[in-house]
Amino acid sequence: MSAQMLTFLSNDGVEITIARDVAERSVLIKNMLEDLGDTDEAIPIPNVNEAVLRKVIEWCEHHKGDPPSTGDDDDSRRKTTDIDEWDQKFMQVDQEMLFEIILAANYLDIKGLLDVGCKTVANMIKGKSPEEIRKTFNIQNDFTPEEEDQIRRENEWAEDR
Amino acid sequence: MPKRRHEDLSATFPPLKRGHFISIISCLSDELLLHILSFLPINSLIVCQQLSCRFKALAEDSEIWKRHYYNRWIRPRLANMRRTMLSRPEVHYSPKVSTWLDNGHLANDGRTLNWKDQYRLRHNWSRGICRVTTVELSQPSARPALVAFCAGIIFTFDWDCRLRARSIMNSACYLSEISLPENRLHSALPTTLTAMKGPLPNRIEVAVGFEDGYFVSYDFDMVSSPLEFRTSCAGSTSAGITAMASCYPYILLTSDQKLLSLFNIIKGCDARGHLLPGKPVLLSCLEADSTFKPMSISVRSAGSDIISSIVYSFYHVGCGWSLGIQELHFSSTDSRQKDSRLTTTVDSQYGLSPPLGHGYPSKGNAWRETNSKTGSCTRPAEPSIYHREAPTSVSYSHPYLITSHTDNTLTVYLVVSSSAGLYIKGAQRLWGHTSSVSAVQVSDRGKAISVSSRGDEVRVWDLEDLVSAFGKQRVRRHGMSIRVSPGNRQSDNDKPRPNFPESNGLSKSIEVQRHVPDISGCIGFDAQCVLLLRGKEHDGQMLECYDFT
Repeated sequence: MSAQMLTFLSNDGVEITIARDVAERSVLIKNMLEDLGDTDEAIPIPNVNEAVLRKVIEWCEHHKGDPPSTGDDDDSRRKTTDIDEWDQKFMQVDQEMLFEIILAANYLDIKGLLDVGCKTVANMIKGKSPEEIRKTFNIQNDFTPEEEDQIRRENEWAEDR
Repeated sequence: MPKRRHEDLSATFPPLKRGHFISIISCLSDELLLHILSFLPINSLIVCQQLSCRFKALAEDSEIWKRHYYNRWIRPRLANMRRTMLSRPEVHYSPKVSTWLDNGHLANDGRTLNWKDQYRLRHNWSRGICRVTTVELSQPSARPALVAFCAGIIFTFDWDCRLRARSIMNSACYLSEISLPENRLHSALPTTLTAMKGPLPNRIEVAVGFEDGYFVSYDFDMVSSPLEFRTSCAGSTSAGITAMASCYPYILLTSDQKLLSLFNIIKGCDARGHLLPGKPVLLSCLEADSTFKPMSISVRSAGSDIISSIVYSFYHVGCGWSLGIQELHFSSTDSRQKDSRLTTTVDSQYGLSPPLGHGYPSKGNAWRETNSKTGSCTRPAEPSIYHREAPTSVSYSHPYLITSHTDNTLTVYLVVSSSAGLYIKGAQRLWGHTSSVSAVQVSDRGKAISVSSRGDEVRVWDLEDLVSAFGKQRVRRHGMSIRVSPGNRQSDNDKPRPNFPESNGLSKSIEVQRHVPDISGCIGFDAQCVLLLRGKEHDGQMLECYDFT
């Protein structure tokens, strides 16, 4: 395979050049290239800024040798929220960046990265109390005390697990 | 007070960056949030429901819970099967419920299920967590009432000769009641009551048997809920009806343990589902000479056949009390008797399992015990299962046959009925009760409820796993049963609720106040509730409903 290079344009106007096989981790880009054929022009990525795009590319570079993900209902990936060490380090970013990565991975259709991002958020939720989670993510509590009480009672059955 | 906590917090700690009080996580689409939630375990999902209205709705998503349901209850069994039968394909989650082993019933009635509720229901069953409600049925010294349970409706035939229907959800008041027809009012006493699902989804047929061989049938509409008189029939003998079983439109009844008759109560219904009037038709009548209590009769339809089965106990010189089972096959089109087959549990009690297709077909029509005909295989000298005393109760719901015994155990058999013959595959003792087991009832989904009246102990058994392990060396004997522990019992009990795990770490137990009469029987159970009867003959009866939802 020739290491064909492609140029992408982030939404803040920065051009980034990467190898085609790295870019094809994104199903969106892979399909687009199949439709477009070869192109020398910069491909605009309208929803992603430079910093996030570089982060996404970093992930794709590291995972370019991974086997392609199998069917979208593969539940083995849901069994665990374990994240490999490199990905854990990779995801040590501030919350804004984390959610930007998730959005970009979703937009660009990079399943592996989306899962890693969502698992990272899931791990931030796990084991916390509702109040701690609200503080972590700035979630506004819009329940009345009565409603809150009722939800707690409805879910008592699951507490003695 | 914990419920005010968040308000206090927001009052004392206003958001630090006032202009920046946006929650980034809330900017994500529902789809992405659901993706995140799908990675969470159950306890975190529950916590997420307490965050905000949006998170509550998302964390209650039925598909997420469906997946958890699958992973907790379906996958382990599939994986188990795969280990034993190597031809099984890889175990993968499939959203098609009909492919989930025996759980097709959850899918087939077309309504959308709330999988969170299903998960909770199954969780509660697996822990024995329920709420109990009690209804007084008859006063002490009054004649005891007859009770039957079908499709969430409790039918009682009370001492005042009125048939009443009540919903299990609100068992304190009646939905409908009806008195006996004039000509039956002052004649014989009622002896048995049976209820079955009718021809339409919301119809239940109820039949009352009397001590003079008469039976009367009623029709109940669950939507408009009136009880209507359907028909009455003199029966095939004047001997008292001792047991009844039904599977629409058939009623099987025994008279004084000697005569077995199968009736078809209706000959059909018209295009709009209205039942055509007509007298019940006697299809078959069989006589028996040596059977002992307890026995169990049942009717089921299988393809074009109506199969009535009689399970009876008898004493075998070699292996003590055993069970015999006779199956009578009728054609559902012309009601002709096609076949009669007989087998016993004797070989299974010796640990022998007949090879596939090896049954004991008997050509005769008579319901006669032929235990001398058992087996061509040579038996070991000692039976592996020996019952010195007759079983206290027998329950058969194809393919599960289960008996309860005074030695604190239950014995379960798997009945195989194929075109080649009828035989019993495997027998297994079940341990778990700590006193004599007085009653047991099994459903065709492999759930069984057993009762120790003296120990006031109710246990739930899951027989599916056990039976699929039949014939293998390692059989799990423990951890299959769960003691039912009503969570609200302590409210009428002054003692604090004891909450200690038993030896296997799975059961929870609870002290029950002493003045309550002993449990005298298990009326029935369905996916949500168990219905038990307390109290004997003349000391007053109470109906107890254990609700697992």
